[in-house]
Amino acid sequence: MIGLHNLSKHYDDLRAVDDVSLSIETGSVVAIVGTSGSGKSTLLRLVNRLIEPTAGHVTLNGQDTRDMPAFELRRRIGYVIQDHGLFPHWTVARNIATVPRLLGWPKDKIRARVEELLRLLSLDPATIGPRFPHQLSGGQMQRVGVARALAARPELLLMDEPFGALDPVLRGKAQADLRAIQQTLGSTILLVTHDMAEAIRLSDRVAVMRAGRVEQFGTPAEILSRPATAFVRDLVGEGERAFRFLSLIPATDLAEEGAASGQPLPRTATASEALDALIWQNAEALPLEGGGRISRAALLRAGHP
Amino acid sequence: MKRWPALVLLAAMLAFLLRPALFVPLLAPLAPEGAPVIYDRAGLLSLTLAHLALVAGAMVPATLVAVALGIFVRRPAGEAFLPLSRVVTGFGQTFPPVAVLALTVPVLGFGTWPTLLALFLYGLLPVFENTLAAFSALPPSVVEAARGTGMTPRQRLWQVELPLALPLILDGVRTATVISLSTATIGSVVAARGLGEVIIAGLTSQNLAFVAQGGVLVAVLAILLAQGFALLSARLR
Ligand SMILES: Nc1ncnc2c1ncn2[C@@H]1O[C@H](COP(=O)(O)OP(=O)(O)O)[C@@H](O)[C@H]1O
Ligand SMILES: [Mg+2]
Repeated sequence: MIGLHNLSKHYDDLRAVDDVSLSIETGSVVAIVGTSGSGKSTLLRLVNRLIEPTAGHVTLNGQDTRDMPAFELRRRIGYVIQDHGLFPHWTVARNIATVPRLLGWPKDKIRARVEELLRLLSLDPATIGPRFPHQLSGGQMQRVGVARALAARPELLLMDEPFGALDPVLRGKAQADLRAIQQTLGSTILLVTHDMAEAIRLSDRVAVMRAGRVEQFGTPAEILSRPATAFVRDLVGEGERAFRFLSLIPATDLAEEGAASGQPLPRTATASEALDALIWQNAEALPLEGGGRISRAALLRAGHP
Repeated sequence: MKRWPALVLLAAMLAFLLRPALFVPLLAPLAPEGAPVIYDRAGLLSLTLAHLALVAGAMVPATLVAVALGIFVRRPAGEAFLPLSRVVTGFGQTFPPVAVLALTVPVLGFGTWPTLLALFLYGLLPVFENTLAAFSALPPSVVEAARGTGMTPRQRLWQVELPLALPLILDGVRTATVISLSTATIGSVVAARGLGEVIIAGLTSQNLAFVAQGGVLVAVLAILLAQGFALLSARLR
């Protein structure tokens, strides 16, 4: 459990972060969404003490983070940034080994861990491990950045617009991969993004920030169905509310007995993907892999709070 | 970069230093009738080595001091000293080395020391300014990542910042070294051993052959050293 208690950061008259309190359950993902300049990055950097707050404090699993040296705290918190910040003079393997080396892990344990992480992020240890960052594609650099942050099994992972530099296709893939990795490892993640769709897709809870303050903190369903302010409503956007809502529901939740013809839906599909397939194939209902079916009526009923 | 011109130059220089007699026909037209063609009051090889030692003796400490100073004034504790450091290193470069010799001989005596000091002061500025530039040019995301991964300031400096700044710092050392190779010739005015001795002897005895061999040797040394540095910093990049 990570607690942000009345955190503020003021630059002269500017309140970059203004009295923010949040808690992040162990094993959950919290997304901070807001327009540019709303204080998201500042809030994130207060958590690993890259900047010190004007007021307030952070607790990491019950421990006040002011009670330990900042560098020790940062070794317990993974940090991923948009531009990756890979060390250009080190190989991929050496980059990933950064924090374990700082912590003085034995060599063979580090080597095994690096290999494990490369595989976890679908990077071939034999070919990618010895490369230098400039020999990687954007998507590979991004994954190496995540691997480096995960290396020492951090208690918290901070991600500042981690997919901001990727094109839309890669971004979708990277989001899905992150969600899968998060569920496998049970990581606790605080993620910053300016993209509400990304926040809704990836997180268990969303904090909407504006001018240094949190306007609403709730589950994606709450944010979509009951936006607390006009600003949150604008950020959610009117256009795709129903689709976003459906994207939160697993298709299996809407399954009913019976058969249907057509291309079967995978059991991992969301209700939004099911509706898309249904419309595209012009079907009343589609079968679900492994039995059952999903009907158009059930999807339309589920598409609003 | 093609390597062979530098290698040819190196071979020619070594041939001249080890078998100067081979070059007599080339230089003879420059020497007055009956005068020696090759400088003979000391071995050219030993003078060349002394010259290089003089430059190294000034540049090694100048580099260490300038880099340390460049790092120090970027720390919060040293920030206040930045303007002063710029003035001091700038003064070291603009104050003519001949004047340094004239002012320090009464204190340090004739010989090597005044020359070392003059070259040391002269070499500070290029290394210092390049160190500052190299550290400002570090990619912000890399510096942020170094802090974010939990490196201490010292680990950041040795593991990330210095290795990445090194090529640009080396460029500064190269500039300073090349300049001090030619500047070192004036050391002979105060009796520091070096190739300046050959040139000055040529001037006083109106023997152009001496002037040419001293001058060309210094120039070739400068070219070879510059190439060596360029090679090294290319390898580091
Ligand atoms: N070091 C700083 N000095 C002064 N103002 C800053 C500093 N860092 C950030 N700010 C200001 O704080 C506000 C929030 O910045 P930031 O947290 O980077 O926003 P976001 O990440 O949401 O785009 C901005 O108005 C920014 O200009
Ligand atoms: Mg930001």
